[in-house]
Amino acid sequence: MNHLLIHQLYAAIAPWSALALLLLGRNPHPDLSRKIAAILLSALVLFVIPFSGWTIAAWLRVLEPNPSITLTVLLLLALTSRLAGHPLFRRQDWNAAWIFGAFAALVLYPMGLGLTGIDPYTWGWDPVLPLVVAAAATLLLFRGNRFGIVLLLPFAGGVIGIQESTNFWNTLVDPFYGAAALVVSAILVLRRCSPLTSASAVID
Amino acid sequence: MPVALRALLIVILWVLCGVGIHSLPSGATPRFAEAPPSQEKAASPVFLTEAINPDQGLPMVHVAALAKTPDGILHCVWYGGSAECRPDVKIYLSQKEPGGRWTQPVSIMTREQAEWDLGRPVQGLGNALLIAGQDGTLRLLFVTIAMGKWSGSQLNSSVSKDGGLTWSRAEHLTLSPFFNLSELVRNRPVPLHDGGWCVPIYQEFLGKFAELLWLSNEGVWRKSRVAGGCSVFQPSVVPTSADSAVSLMRDYTKARKVQISNTSDGGLSWSQARPTTLPNPDAGISGLPLGNNRILIAYNDSPKDRSDLSLALSSDGGRNWSKLVSLLHEEGASFAYPYLFPTSDGMIQLAYTWKGRELRLISFNESWLNDQAARSGKP
Repeated sequence: MNHLLIHQLYAAIAPWSALALLLLGRNPHPDLSRKIAAILLSALVLFVIPFSGWTIAAWLRVLEPNPSITLTVLLLLALTSRLAGHPLFRRQDWNAAWIFGAFAALVLYPMGLGLTGIDPYTWGWDPVLPLVVAAAATLLLFRGNRFGIVLLLPFAGGVIGIQESTNFWNTLVDPFYGAAALVVSAILVLRRCSPLTSASAVID
Repeated sequence: MPVALRALLIVILWVLCGVGIHSLPSGATPRFAEAPPSQEKAASPVFLTEAINPDQGLPMVHVAALAKTPDGILHCVWYGGSAECRPDVKIYLSQKEPGGRWTQPVSIMTREQAEWDLGRPVQGLGNALLIAGQDGTLRLLFVTIAMGKWSGSQLNSSVSKDGGLTWSRAEHLTLSPFFNLSELVRNRPVPLHDGGWCVPIYQEFLGKFAELLWLSNEGVWRKSRVAGGCSVFQPSVVPTSADSAVSLMRDYTKARKVQISNTSDGGLSWSQARPTTLPNPDAGISGLPLGNNRILIAYNDSPKDRSDLSLALSSDGGRNWSKLVSLLHEEGASFAYPYLFPTSDGMIQLAYTWKGRELRLISFNESWLNDQAARSGKP
C-alpha cells in the first residue's frame, strides 16, 4: 500500500468517527440497526457521495490533512464506547485529554502563527518535544490514567509514518482537538470555580 | 490498570520514543556553502538582456526562479495564467544550454496534475522554485492554493532526475500547525556544506513573516523563523561566511525600507529586523554574496511602486548601501520580483517579471558591476 493511500485512509478515520457519533445521536443505548446505519451512512457520506468531483473525505483533507493521532484515538474510543454500550474512558481520563489538548493548543497556535519570534512548531522536529510528551505520558501511566495509553500512540504513528506530516506536533494536536479541548477545559474550570456546581463537575 | 501493564506500557512508550528520536535527522548546526561568483580579474565588462518567454502570450506571468545543473544548463521556472490565484495557472519551465537560447516554455505542473498527485482538490498554483543538486537532480518546490488566495497556500515538492522532462509524484510538505496555512517560497535557496539546502520561505496568513526551510537530501529537516508578527517577509538569505548571513526582506511595515536581519549561528537564530537605507514599496527583493563581505541587492528603488529596478551594493555586510545603477525605469510600469543567481561562468543572472507579461533576464559580470561602481563614485 503506498504512502498516499495510507495517509488518505488515516486522515478519514477522525471525520468518519465524528460523523458516526453524530448519527448515533444522544441515546446512550442505540439499537443495533441504528449502530449499523450510523457506521455505514457516515462511510457513505465521506467516501461515496461526490461534491464538485471529489469525495467529502478529500475536501476534508484540504482543510486538515493531518488529524492528530490523539484526536483520532479519542474519537474512536468515544465511538467504541457508544457501540459497546459502556465507557472505556473514565472522567479523569477525559479530563486529562482535555487539559493536555488545551495546553498544547495554547502553546502551539498563537506562537506558531507568528505572535512571537519563537516558533514552537519547530520543536516537533527536535528530540525535546517527544521527550517532554513521553515524560508526561509516563506520569499519567504511573497514575493509571488511561490517557497515558492514548499518548503512547502518537509515538507509534510517528514511527510508522501514518501521517503526511513529519512533525511530531501534528501527531499530538490539531486545530479541531485544540479548539474542543479549550472549550471543554474552560467549562471544566468554570464549573470548578462555580460554588453551585463544584461538587458535581463532570464532563465525560 | 495493573502495575505490570503500566510498567510494560511505559517500556513500550520509551522504546517508541527512542526509535522516533533516533530517526530524526542530525541536529548539527548548518553551515552555508554558497560561493560568490568566480571572478576573472581580466574579464571585460559584460551586460546582456534577453526575454525568457517572449512568445508565451499569457495575460500574466510572474515569479521567475533560476537553477543551474552541473551540465551547464540554466533552468527557469515561473507561473502563468489568466491572473494570480486563478485555476488555469500553470507552472512553466524553460531551459538554456550554454551559448544557446531559451527553449519554448513547457508546463511542468498544472492544477489538475497537482490534484492527482496530492489526492485532494487544489484551487490553484503559485510561486515555484528550483533546486539543482550536484547529481543533476532538479527539485521543484511549488505553491498550491488550498483555499482562498495566498493565505491558503501550501508547499509541495517534486523531483526530476532527467533534467526536467519528467517529474515525480508531488508530495505535500506540512510546515504550519494551523491547517498547514500558509507557506510560500520566493527567493534563492542557499546550499549547505552537508549537501542540504536552506530555503527562504514565508508565511502570509494572520501575520506576514520570514522563515527558513531546511532541506536535507531526504526531505524536510526542520524550519526556523527569521522574524515573527506582521512585519517583514520574503527573505533573501545572503551568506557572508559559513556561519554568518544576512536576511534581506520585503517590508510590510510603514517604514517602506528594505529590512535586514543577521545570523551568526548558521541561520538558527536571527537578530531583530531593522530597516536599511534602501526603499521598498512592499515588493520582492533579491540579494547575492559577492565575497569579502560585499552584498549585491536587486530592488525597486521607490517607496511607492515597482517602476524602477535597481542594483545596490554593500561593502560591509549590509550595514551601508550604495546605489550602483538603475537598470529599468518607466513611470507606471512594473519590474518586479528580481531573482539574482550566480553561475559558475562568473556571470550574475537577474531574472524578473517585466510588466507582468514576460520574464526577462539580465546577465552581467563583476567587471560590469565595478564599472558601475566607478561611475557612481562609490567603489
